Amino acid sequence: MASLYWKVKTYLEANGKTETEIGLDGNVKLRNDGAGEYIHTWNVDGLAKPSDSQLTSADTQATKDYNNNRTRKTRKAAYGSIGDQLDLLYKDMLADKGDKTGEWFKKIKAVKDANAKE
Amino acid sequence: MALSKIGLIDPTAITGETALAAEPATTDELLVSDAGTLKRLDAVHMMNRPAFHVYLSGDQAIGTGAATKIAWDSEYIDSGGVFASNKFTVPSDGAGTYVFNWIIKMGGMDDGEAVQVFLYKGGSELDSQRTRTKITAGGGDQEVHVAGSYIDTAAATNYYELYVHQNEGGNQNVMQETSTFSGYRLIGA
Repeated sequence: MASLYWKVKTYLEANGKTETEIGLDGNVKLRNDGAGEYIHTWNVDGLAKPSDSQLTSADTQATKDYNNNRTRKTRKAAYGSIGDQLDLLYKDMLADKGDKTGEWFKKIKAVKDANAKE
Repeated sequence: MALSKIGLIDPTAITGETALAAEPATTDELLVSDAGTLKRLDAVHMMNRPAFHVYLSGDQAIGTGAATKIAWDSEYIDSGGVFASNKFTVPSDGAGTYVFNWIIKMGGMDDGEAVQVFLYKGGSELDSQRTRTKITAGGGDQEVHVAGSYIDTAAATNYYELYVHQNEGGNQNVMQETSTFSGYRLIGA
């Protein structure tokens, strides 16, 4: 089950809003005083606070979004630094391999293939 | 004449011959002249009490995007039994000025993700412009330390808690090994 943040994000996006509504100084504030996460503040223009059932309905998409977020982070770490990637690209160019035969492309593709999104 | 007037002290016995040679007990008494009137004062009124210093017995998971109360469950110091149920409560005779300090350690933060810590008073964030402390990670999988301090004027029964917020996308831990919350009464402020 996705966390409250991801379910609220899904609910917002399904209703034409964005996750930027959520934040410490945003229109949606989430809080946990020790008994579980809940919506502390909801001031989204033109959109009512979601009911429990609406949040439950958002869980499938929210879980998918969460999993894809994890995948993006795994990929990002595996790609290496931008500096290292530029160095790899430079070497590919120097070897006239600035296409899919280059080492940079192979590395990026391997990471993406090993960490597929849902 | 002035001393015998209060009828409690024998001036001839005030010699200072014996050194206490230790921190006075809270109920030990000092003599002070209060605008010319000699009075007895419990030593506790000259101490930085109440005071507390608490920590976590284990890591605490914090969900992404939700301001979450830190559940301090272990104490280094709790003079006067003022820290309970994850919060410091000013005792009925403890109104005054208090100094609060905190440090929170959280790992697993990636580039551009942030950890923020807030001091809550009476269930609401206190003076957010001055109490919010924030560290943004500058690389992948980093441990960040968020430290802060604040001085507040407290009334009896006011209570203080510490909240943390992170936007890593998943759960991340407030780490036991470094994280602490402390406070003490500031005398004479």
